[in-house]
Amino acid sequence: MAGREEEKKLVRDISILVGGKAGDGVLFTGNVLARWLKRQGWWAVTYRDFPSNIRGEATQYTIRASLDPIENRNNTVDVLLAFDCEAIEKHSLRLSDGGLVLCDGADAAHLPASAGNYLTSFAFPLRQPARQHFGRDIFKNMIALGALGYLFGLELSHLEGIIRELYEKRKGEEVVRLNLKAASFGFDQAKEIIPAGERWPLLSLPDEGRLLLSGDEAIALGALAAGCRFFAAYPICPASEIWQWLAPRIKSFGGVVIQVEDELAALNMAIGASYAGAKAMTSTSGPGASLMMEAFSLAGMTETPVVIAHVQRVGPATGLPTKTQQGDIFQWVFGSHGEFPRVVLAPGSVEECFTFTIAAFNLAEKLQGPVVILTDLDMGQNLRTTPLLEANSWRVERGKLLSAEEVSNLKEYKRFAFTEDGISPRVIPGTPNGLHLVESVEHDEFGWRSEDPRVRAAMMEKRMRKIKAIAPDLIPPGLYGEAEASVGLISLGSTRGPILEAMKRLHQEGIKTKFLQVRTLWPFPSAEVKEFLAGLKHLFVVENNYSGQLLTLLRSQVEVEPGLKVEGLRKYTPDNFVPEEIYQPLKEAAER
Amino acid sequence: MKRSDPYSLHPPTWCPGCGLYGILEALKRAASSLALDPAQMVIVTGIGCHGRFPNYFRAYGFHGLHGRVMPVASGIKLVNPSLKVIGISGDGDAYSIGLNHLLHAARRNIGVLAVVVNNRVFALTQGQASPTSPQGFVSISTPFGTVEPPLEGLELALSAGATFVARGFSGEVNHLAGLFRRGLAHRGFGIIDILSPCVTHNKINTYDWYKKHIKLLPLTDELPQDRKQAWEWLAEREKFVLGILYQEERASLEELVLPDPSRPVAHLELKPEAERIKELMEIFR
Repeated sequence: MAGREEEKKLVRDISILVGGKAGDGVLFTGNVLARWLKRQGWWAVTYRDFPSNIRGEATQYTIRASLDPIENRNNTVDVLLAFDCEAIEKHSLRLSDGGLVLCDGADAAHLPASAGNYLTSFAFPLRQPARQHFGRDIFKNMIALGALGYLFGLELSHLEGIIRELYEKRKGEEVVRLNLKAASFGFDQAKEIIPAGERWPLLSLPDEGRLLLSGDEAIALGALAAGCRFFAAYPICPASEIWQWLAPRIKSFGGVVIQVEDELAALNMAIGASYAGAKAMTSTSGPGASLMMEAFSLAGMTETPVVIAHVQRVGPATGLPTKTQQGDIFQWVFGSHGEFPRVVLAPGSVEECFTFTIAAFNLAEKLQGPVVILTDLDMGQNLRTTPLLEANSWRVERGKLLSAEEVSNLKEYKRFAFTEDGISPRVIPGTPNGLHLVESVEHDEFGWRSEDPRVRAAMMEKRMRKIKAIAPDLIPPGLYGEAEASVGLISLGSTRGPILEAMKRLHQEGIKTKFLQVRTLWPFPSAEVKEFLAGLKHLFVVENNYSGQLLTLLRSQVEVEPGLKVEGLRKYTPDNFVPEEIYQPLKEAAER
Repeated sequence: MKRSDPYSLHPPTWCPGCGLYGILEALKRAASSLALDPAQMVIVTGIGCHGRFPNYFRAYGFHGLHGRVMPVASGIKLVNPSLKVIGISGDGDAYSIGLNHLLHAARRNIGVLAVVVNNRVFALTQGQASPTSPQGFVSISTPFGTVEPPLEGLELALSAGATFVARGFSGEVNHLAGLFRRGLAHRGFGIIDILSPCVTHNKINTYDWYKKHIKLLPLTDELPQDRKQAWEWLAEREKFVLGILYQEERASLEELVLPDPSRPVAHLELKPEAERIKELMEIFR
């Protein structure tokens, strides 16, 4: 595509891959580039493919930007920024025709011979000038960013803004100046090395009313907005970002984040804090969730509100801690001992991570029980451009929580009183006249242990009744596409982006499809699913796991007509879906 | 309503002669002498015979899971430091399944009083050996006698950073009440290991046996902050040394991590704070 200036002006969608070794600053470079593109008015999303390693292993980070709203990567790479020859060897063959490679100086020779025909490659000194002019290797990242700025015609004032926000307060003016100097060095060096005709100038549009953030960050922000003031957690990939984002910020809201010894403690502590009156939360991933299963049931039995965010990664066992998967659906829908009411929400976008977290807290308070926000690494850690999060409809609800005044007027207080909706008014410790026992043993209305069969049955029914009471507050599934379509998809979580993109492409080709995004996994939205299935000829259930957990759940809750062809579209390799992988089978189905 | 005994609730149903009776009585005396308001006390218990404590002692109660007393108690204390939070465990609860939590609670110096009812046997599950059973202890789970030496919970707690370390005996109620009194007034994490006969399942460590194997330290107003002395007392194997073995004045976790310990998290007035959240969103521009 070299030199075809006219064609390049039409660039609407571009993917840049930054490849190097863990510790190289790949994440930094990619994050800054994504924000730069977003400020240039593009819709930027990132896709990290990192090893579970701090230094030394190969790592790659893809930044995709589009003029149209996007939520996910695709399977193309247009520009490769390689910090070493391994990255060139690994990724250059993935580049699209006319792609461009920038690689650090000495490694240029490693471009595979076969790739030379359709790629343009430039040896681009990074480490050497970083060392020579700025004293440290690490400035290679800013030099590289400056070069990309030239390549894409990005406005340097945006970069300056980003660098200032990053370093001005924390590291001072001198660091900002040095970084910007390195960037303009890279910009100027690119002018010399890359001929003007090889540039990919991108449109510059206003950046209004949009944010760039990860699902983990959106959950943290949502927690603050929901009134979460206590967070206990144990470090685990890919969920730690949630409480690590909150830790420095929750204090000014009067709250506290505490790192604890393990996930058993994390959930038990959150339950203790919630029982005592705080809106409390914890977060984890698969292995930690296994430890939390014990206390999950405690929250159910003691009727204590608590919110658990689970960011799924590849299992079983340690699995692949830095790779995405959706294999823990059953864990929360069916996990733990005994039976108790629970809610499992599955956000499918960054915006939903925010709004569902607020909903989760309000649901937990109303239910007086555990509510799970189930996402995955792709949603949790990757950055996505999203419309400004809507702030008008927030509510901070406390459910049936009695005030000290209300308690003082009580003649008698029954913590687990049998009520019509099953929800019994709650009193927090320290309230005069409200003394009671919260009991993990089966108990009567007062909380006194009871083995009386009638009490047991009535108490079980009371707890389970609560599910009906909160039903109107559950988040209904999202419905997309054309109502009359005979090919449909059902999915959850981060697969939403690639599904919507595949559907858009099919729509442009005149192929009708529709998609039901399950947002409340449990209680399962049986009525909505049933309605969606009516008239459908071919159903795809898309999920990032081996055994088809969502499909199994669906089959257990909804009677599927024998005439409906049901197909599981599953991916259990350690990466998420790209639109192509959904587009193809759908197209084939439609054409059959 | 004025109660003559504000701390009594249901009559206990522990086995006649169980050490827990003495402990219940000692805690009542201590609470009474400190004039504690039952509504400002929370008793968290684990699983075991001790677990019924909040059925018999009038206060707020939380009967949780086996071994998880410390995390629940810590969560309560962190969001409302004005409450007196007492975490009662058995030796199985505290030193076996919940040991990790106990040590980390000690390390954090959270203002919770950990009470370990140490009867040296799993009583509620019909008499299996526990981590503190004497070596050679024959039980249904150890028909040939335990081969492991008993675990010394107080040594672990002291090395983990507990700032109040005491040992009592449920047969010495007055002495024990004194330990409770001091422990309840303590600023950070306190632990009282209470030697407590199980009349049903432990035929070795009986009241008579303990009477020959304990040595009482007098309770004085002095702060026993000599770590070396504490280790010496704990190292005594002929007799259990009873008393406050170690106490140290140090800022508690809640004092250190809460933005304002006088404004409990539990009592914060919550509203959407839309303006402040919008401000935070600017980070993501």
